[in-house]
Amino acid sequence: MFQLLVAGLTVGSGYALVALGIHIILRATRIVNFAQGEFTIIGGLLALTFVQLFHANSWVALAGATIAGFALGLVFERLVLRPAARSGEIPLTIATLGTVSILLYGHALIPGWGSLPQPLPSFSGEASDAINVGGVSIQIQSMWVLGLLLAALAVLYIFFERTYYGKAIRAAANNPTGAKLVGIDVTNARAVSVGLSIALAAYGGTIIGPITLVGGAGGTAIAIKGFVGAIIGGLESPVGCVVGGLLVGVIEKLIQGLPGVSYGLSDPIVYSLLLVGLLLRPQGLFGARSAVRD
Amino acid sequence: MIARLRADTRTLPILALIVVIFGIFASHNATFAQAGTYAAIFAIAAIGLSLLMGNVNQISLGQSGFFGIGAYAVASLTTTWNLPPWISWPLATLIGMLVATIVGLGLGFIALRFRGHYLAMATLAFGLICVGVFHETKFLGGAIGIEDVPYPSFGALTVSGYPAYWFAWILALGAALLTLNLLRGRSGRAFEAIRNDELAAEVLGVPTRRYKIFAFAYAGALAGLGGSMYAAFLGIVVPDAVSVQLSISLLLMVVLGGSGGVSGALIGAALIGFLDISGHQFENTREVVYGLLVIVVVIAAPGGAFGLIRSRFKSKPLAARAEAASTVAATPIAIGTPPADGAPLAVSHVTKRFGGLIAVNDVSFTLTRGTLTSLIGPNGAGKTTLFNAISGIGRLTEGRVEIAGIDVTGWQPHRVAALGVGRTFQNARLFGEMTVLENVVAGAFRTERTSFGADLLALPSSRRSEREATDRARETLARLGLEPIASTLAKDLAFGDRRRVELARATASNPWLLLVDEPAAGLNASERSALTADLLKLRDAGMTLLLIEHDMRLVMSISERVMVLKFGMMIADGKADAVRNDPGVVAAYLGTAS
Repeated sequence: MFQLLVAGLTVGSGYALVALGIHIILRATRIVNFAQGEFTIIGGLLALTFVQLFHANSWVALAGATIAGFALGLVFERLVLRPAARSGEIPLTIATLGTVSILLYGHALIPGWGSLPQPLPSFSGEASDAINVGGVSIQIQSMWVLGLLLAALAVLYIFFERTYYGKAIRAAANNPTGAKLVGIDVTNARAVSVGLSIALAAYGGTIIGPITLVGGAGGTAIAIKGFVGAIIGGLESPVGCVVGGLLVGVIEKLIQGLPGVSYGLSDPIVYSLLLVGLLLRPQGLFGARSAVRD
Repeated sequence: MIARLRADTRTLPILALIVVIFGIFASHNATFAQAGTYAAIFAIAAIGLSLLMGNVNQISLGQSGFFGIGAYAVASLTTTWNLPPWISWPLATLIGMLVATIVGLGLGFIALRFRGHYLAMATLAFGLICVGVFHETKFLGGAIGIEDVPYPSFGALTVSGYPAYWFAWILALGAALLTLNLLRGRSGRAFEAIRNDELAAEVLGVPTRRYKIFAFAYAGALAGLGGSMYAAFLGIVVPDAVSVQLSISLLLMVVLGGSGGVSGALIGAALIGFLDISGHQFENTREVVYGLLVIVVVIAAPGGAFGLIRSRFKSKPLAARAEAASTVAATPIAIGTPPADGAPLAVSHVTKRFGGLIAVNDVSFTLTRGTLTSLIGPNGAGKTTLFNAISGIGRLTEGRVEIAGIDVTGWQPHRVAALGVGRTFQNARLFGEMTVLENVVAGAFRTERTSFGADLLALPSSRRSEREATDRARETLARLGLEPIASTLAKDLAFGDRRRVELARATASNPWLLLVDEPAAGLNASERSALTADLLKLRDAGMTLLLIEHDMRLVMSISERVMVLKFGMMIADGKADAVRNDPGVVAAYLGTAS
């Protein structure tokens, strides 16, 4: 049971970062980015490239993938989101779906990435190393994932709550007109938000890489489970997104661990949570009522 | 007929011709014939999605689910039951479409609660759940799916290979024709009205919720038909074939071809079909190109390929029948009959709160038939809120509203409208993408006598109803002197004209009770006097009018009775002169010295 919980929190960390990334872009631009999960996959692959090409260690690869993710986010914002924004909300949604197609199929064309999932090296020791806590063995990698998730959340918190620039971005998101009037470059703030969000996706793809493998067609599933997490927790609430993402991971692992339940049922059940969540509490567990239906 | 469907109507025969030419050309090329067959199958599903996206402004990422329902219905039924071949596939298809329709009604009902990207997510979840269910259901073959689905066969003809091309395209073009019929009639105009301005459509008597649900069911049925053809022509169904990727492909077709109407969907499906075969050895590159194409189209040509074609048709206005219409100019105003004998409008103790703010506070009044009453008051007094309360927009906190003695408290706006109540808005909510004439015809929605079925088959009754509604709309325009602008798009109108067109639209269904919200705001002197004359004509014909207006001279000159609201409360009610000299009213408008 405890083991399932830890396994759930580990995969859930990936979903949580996807959910949080979706939230950041939504807050800044009112766009729901359906390609967030694909960017997670790309992030893991970027880290793989750093490892393979430059023989970088995991930490350098993590930093490299995150920075590259930020740059990718800026490109994505400038070439896709900003121009498509003029056409309206549904066209924008469609443009992010087009991005899914490009990333999902495009990454297989890049030499060294291919279409088959590959392992990322562990952050310490061997991938299978485990420690024993009260009779339960926990993979060291899981500890790393959770630790790195918390580290990222702490950095984001400090950035958005304590730094001038972070506050400016939040101001630009909450009230673009007001922010413009006090001299904040709203366009720039939006671009940086998208950059941050994609950096976060890349970071997430890298930290779960040693456990879940990187590459392959798993991005859609990660994206959708990230959505489920964001909807359950509250698309408009950062805390809700993280908690929701973790929750989805745990629910998924618990269903898979239940005796007598087909392994394949976990996905449809998790996906139904998206619909159930949307219907019963569209603002999510942590969201305010007014956030719905915008 | 909606202006933008004109191009569609003209393009359909050309597309049919291309299908025939391609079909003849493909008779010796099995690859082409097969690609053409698939294009037809996906085109049918894409037509439904196109209607949903382009005509009702809804997005669905769940069409693969309906496609799957049709495919699995045919696969599981035709492989298990022992019916004669000629009935087996058609019957299974009908069952599949029926199930898809019912599920579509359900999804449409759920979809009412979401907009934009929330709707995209909800429908995506639906598609995912469907594929999960197919994958996990034992009698549907699980991950392996269902094999050896028999080809449809009718006597000596087995529909597979080359004959399937013709069979599939006959069905696809048939579906396109029926959909076009539907869009060209009253239903299509209602869709267009909803797409332009949902609230205004509702107030004209369009049951917008029902129409949106219907659109989902219709799109579901068409996707189900596509799926049933897919299963039968391919002979196999696997869960992966009906994954969300299919939903995205359909979306791609609609976006590339251009949403709204049918030609765009056909072009998009054919385009993707063509790219599919020409790029089959570049598997991943092909999908990347699709992704890039979608983004480029969304940014550079939101109307898709057909949008580019359609823009060539623009210069043809519908002036053709203008002369014929000028002969009907002298028709008298028709006023509908109230459904019951009670007072036209009785408002009792109506209160409306928004959180802590009381916008309307315990207001009561009763109108007398055939009179013109004005409701005045400073900005923010709650006048429009009171109008909304009467027309069913938003819930009352307390109180009740009776129209012709019928308690309409809590009714949806379209039901209130259906009693014969017209209304205009403070900001003239016209349907911008429709012409003036179409706006007015849309106003006659509730008096048109036709049905979905009659529209779909373009039965004589549907065409007659269409003709009558158009003639009536022309009469209304003629009476108001708006004929010269009949074929102007509403969004291109001058401000004063917008107001008068809205009045024409609100009276097109011959209401007997009319609520008019600030009709004179922003009008110049001559426009005002024309408006005054219009309103008096309506009253003299027996209509009961309630008017919100700020122009005191206008109010005092035409009202039998004036009511004054201040901070949500009725502070005066009586004859114009009495109200004008009421100290409370003077204080409300000018402030007091104290």
